This record gives sequence, structure tokens and C-alpha cells, in this order.
Amino acid sequence: MTTLLQGSLQGYVLVALLLFVIGFFIVLSRRTVLVQFMGVELMLNAANIALLAFARARGGDVQGTVFYLFIIAVAACEAAVGLALVVGLFRHRTTTDTDRADALKL
Amino acid sequence: MFLIFALITLLGGLSLAFQKNLVVAGLCMVLTFFGVAGLFLLLANPVAAALQVIVYSGAIVVLLLFVIMLLSAHEEEEALKAHPIQRWGSVVAALALAGGAVKVVLASGILRSPRPVGVPPPMNLDALGNALFNNHLAAFEIVGLLLLATMVGAVVLVKRDL
Repeated sequence: MTTLLQGSLQGYVLVALLLFVIGFFIVLSRRTVLVQFMGVELMLNAANIALLAFARARGGDVQGTVFYLFIIAVAACEAAVGLALVVGLFRHRTTTDTDRADALKL
Repeated sequence: MFLIFALITLLGGLSLAFQKNLVVAGLCMVLTFFGVAGLFLLLANPVAAALQVIVYSGAIVVLLLFVIMLLSAHEEEEALKAHPIQRWGSVVAALALAGGAVKVVLASGILRSPRPVGVPPPMNLDALGNALFNNHLAAFEIVGLLLLATMVGAVVLVKRDL
């Protein structure tokens, strides 16, 4: 238990899983698109924590950081396109609430 | 130190989950990202920590806050009708997943095994650049193309009349 609190591999994996669950809960329970987007970002970060923790446990493997680099590049793309979609949705419906935007056609 | 950064990360995430004001929620997300950057520092990976602060807490959050203020969507809109199934279903699903995750991680023997003898050196940009350009050059170029396509796509989506 003390190694867990001082940051063994177990502790990092636990933090990553709990952060993923929090992001999952946000995506499921909130109605605003922008907050759901924040939840997706939290889930991506949880994956990054697990990746780098395992890379460290394997003796400072450099491949983990390379993958982290690619993940944040794709996350930046996702952020740009996602927020552009939200702006487009707001322009058509003047709402960012998923309950009010549940039909493809006006 | 690990406990402090882990608590910052998880409490930032939880306050984001229950925050009604969207701007404050965005700032809670910054808190979470800084906690994650601290965890990366503790993993002896200053490169990843710097990238986390620059890309996430910098670029992505600024973009997000900019969109929130552009749409003046500071407050969440009133629900059209109550969704008790959605609310309690998500609470039950999250609690079940969290409980299962804690149980599996605490019971796992592989994760508990001690670290390899001899602390590995911290990550440096030298090793990262060598690995990136020697072994992953094609992927690097493809990511560059993806960023270009994203830029064009975002402009097309947002532009009013092409």
C-alpha cells in the first residue's frame, strides 16, 4: 500500500484508469457538447499516463514518448475539427445542447 | 509528490464533471492537465511534461475557451426534459467501471513486481529525436499531412460561404 501511495507502476495505472472513468462519466452524463469534448480529452490523457508509466517501467523506453508525441498530434487535430463542428452546429441550431440537436435535418 | 499530483489530476477531473459554468470547467481542465504534467515529471519524462503544458494547457484549452466565449455558452442550457435513466445509468456505469478497475489493479501481481534494478536515465530530446527520425519517419510525415488536412477541414467547416 505504501509503494502504491509513493508512485509504483500500480499507482500510475490506477490514476490512469480512474481518470479514464471520470472522462467516460462526463461524456455519458453531461448534455453540452463542449463539456463532452472535455471528457474525451480527459480520456486521451488517461491513455497517455498509462503509456508513459509502462514505458518507464520497461527501463525508460523511448518508444512510449514517440507514441505520446503522435497521440498529442492526433488530439490536436481532433480538437480543431471537433470545435469547428461545434461552431457549425451553433450556426445552424443556435444551441450546443445535444438534446436540442437530435435530428439531422432541420 | 506522486500523491499530490494524482490528487490534483483526479480532483480537477471530478470538479470538471460537476461544474455548471463552462469557463470554470475549462479552467478545471487546465488543473487536470497540470497534474498530468506533474505525473510525467515524476516519471522522469520532462519532454512529455513540457509538451503536455504547451499543447494541452496552452493550445487546446485556449482554443476551447475561445469557442466557449465565441458562442457565449457560459451557462449550460436548461434541459428539455429530465433524463433520470441517463443520469443514474451513467453514475452506475462509472462506479462499476471504477470499482472493477481498482479491484483488478490491486489484485494484479505483474503490476506490483519491483522495478528493474538500476534506475533508468531520464528521457532526453536526443534519444527521442533519434527514435523519431530513424524508426518512425513515415509516421512522422503522415502526421504532418494529417495536420495539414485538419487545418483545411477546419477552415472549410467554419467558413460561412466558400
